[in-house]
Amino acid sequence: MALSLEIRGLDAGYGAVRALHGVSLSIGEKETVALLGTNGNGKSTLMKCVMGMVRPSRGDIVLNLDGQAFDLKTLSTEAIVDLGVAMVPEGRRLFPRLTVEENLLLGAYRRASRRQLGRNLEFCYEAFPVLKERRRQLAGSMSGGQQQMLAIARALMSAPKLLLVDEPSVGLAPILVSHTITKIKELKEEYGLTVLMAEQNFHQAIRIADRGSIIVHGEIVFSGTVSELEKNELVKSYYLGT
Amino acid sequence: MFSLDLLFEALIFGVLLGCFYAAVSIGLSVSFGLLDVPHVAHPAIMVLGSYCTWLLATRSSLDPLLAGVLLMPAFFLVGVLVYRFYYETFERRGSDAAVRGLAFFFGLAFIIEVGLILFFGVDQRSVEASYIGKSFRFGDYRIPMRMLVAFAVALLLTFFLSLYLSRTFVGRAIKAVAQDEPALRLMGANPVRIKQWAFGIATGVSALAGAMLVIVSPVEPAMDRVYIGRTFCVVVLAGLGSMTGTLAAGLILGIAESVVMMLFGASWAPAVAFGLLLVVLGLRPQGLFGR
Ligand SMILES: Nc1ncnc2c1ncn2[C@@H]1O[C@H](COP(=O)(O)OP(=O)(O)OP(=O)(O)O)[C@@H](O)[C@H]1O
Ligand SMILES: [Mg+2]
Repeated sequence: MALSLEIRGLDAGYGAVRALHGVSLSIGEKETVALLGTNGNGKSTLMKCVMGMVRPSRGDIVLNLDGQAFDLKTLSTEAIVDLGVAMVPEGRRLFPRLTVEENLLLGAYRRASRRQLGRNLEFCYEAFPVLKERRRQLAGSMSGGQQQMLAIARALMSAPKLLLVDEPSVGLAPILVSHTITKIKELKEEYGLTVLMAEQNFHQAIRIADRGSIIVHGEIVFSGTVSELEKNELVKSYYLGT
Repeated sequence: MFSLDLLFEALIFGVLLGCFYAAVSIGLSVSFGLLDVPHVAHPAIMVLGSYCTWLLATRSSLDPLLAGVLLMPAFFLVGVLVYRFYYETFERRGSDAAVRGLAFFFGLAFIIEVGLILFFGVDQRSVEASYIGKSFRFGDYRIPMRMLVAFAVALLLTFFLSLYLSRTFVGRAIKAVAQDEPALRLMGANPVRIKQWAFGIATGVSALAGAMLVIVSPVEPAMDRVYIGRTFCVVVLAGLGSMTGTLAAGLILGIAESVVMMLFGASWAPAVAFGLLLVVLGLRPQGLFGR
């Protein structure tokens, strides 16, 4: 297999706060895995661990790429991005006083993506025409939905192999949620991406996921395929209100 | 007293003075405007550049402008080292970095000033070149040639810095770094390295500005104090971090000072910078060309 991410027995936290307890998760090439959980259960923390932004106190995060294994625990965020991992972070984290286009160009900072800059930019503008129309506008003055599209497009500009998306639906109107999720699915197919997506919106997440894991209080309490998830009691009580 | 001729003369002088102000401020526009570093030692480093230019120009009879250009790589390195030291000892340590950073850079300015006095004495120094002291006619006006040096240096620095910041990957990262460092890491750039590089550029640019300074007027060790207020004024007036804005703000300040001098006399000139700053920030808090 050309690409896989293995997370094993991960403990992580912030000072005295323990946010993850023995989390294990694996993602294979071109798979889409949904990380499901309500507020404060550790979804973002897990993603930050993968990106080297939070250092776990125990466990392993290994990225296998074309037969080579990289221990992400020891790499800087920049080095992890250089390997072809990109994240759409919580809160979007755009550069508000740069234009839409400048934000996109910064997305292509890593060396491997600079070569295909023109093609990727064109693709992003095609996928999100509103970004092209507003490419000279400051990112900070875009609407929430437009900013979310920009955040996704910016991550794609790095031509990632593995894409982490932290709650793409948060703060969006229902129609936009559905649109955004559809877009991620299209982009994923177009690029042959492997995706790990954190979501609270169960119904939207399972539209594009192959598998899902439910995280509660920093522990993975259930992992399975989409149909297994739909039948699961925990999911029913958690998300479906039955 | 007042005549159109005088006004026109004041305008021409104002434009040249404005270019001079833009050239002495543009390094600060990078270090303070883009990086948020409270770099009050910026004028002191520039005066250091003037003295190094003087040394090169008198000892090896180099053209002072060429000397300034040759000094740029060395000053770039000095900038990288100064930022690294500042980062390790201050910025990294926490939230009140700006206040303590101010102390660091005041200290640096003081050390440079004292160093210059010990090494060169307190006498004024000036350089010679064929174009210094000459002037040429522009219509009915005589324009001193050395002011054209300011004009050229300001335009060149503005042009190349704007181009670098908007057209290169590192340049764009420099524009982004103060806005969100963790997000910049997610783009694959190391914020500390980016800032270090940018600070090096700001300092390298100051070497050329220093050469221009000593061409335009004789320098003395404590001269940096005259420029702290004006350079910060230009950078804030411009809107933090805009290079073309810095040129425009320099021009506005230069013309305003020159006209005020003509109308009310030279003693009013220093008040212009702060008057202008108060008015502009009252009306437009983000500066004239700020985003
Ligand atoms: N910077 C921080 N400092 C201290 N504690 C934190 C920090 N960030 C998160 N936490 C804590 O870690 C736990 C997990 O937070 P995390 O942000 O990973 O949750 P999440 O599943 O992403 O939630 P949400 O859906 O609200 O984004 C929470 O209890 C939270 O309070
Ligand atoms: Mg979160």
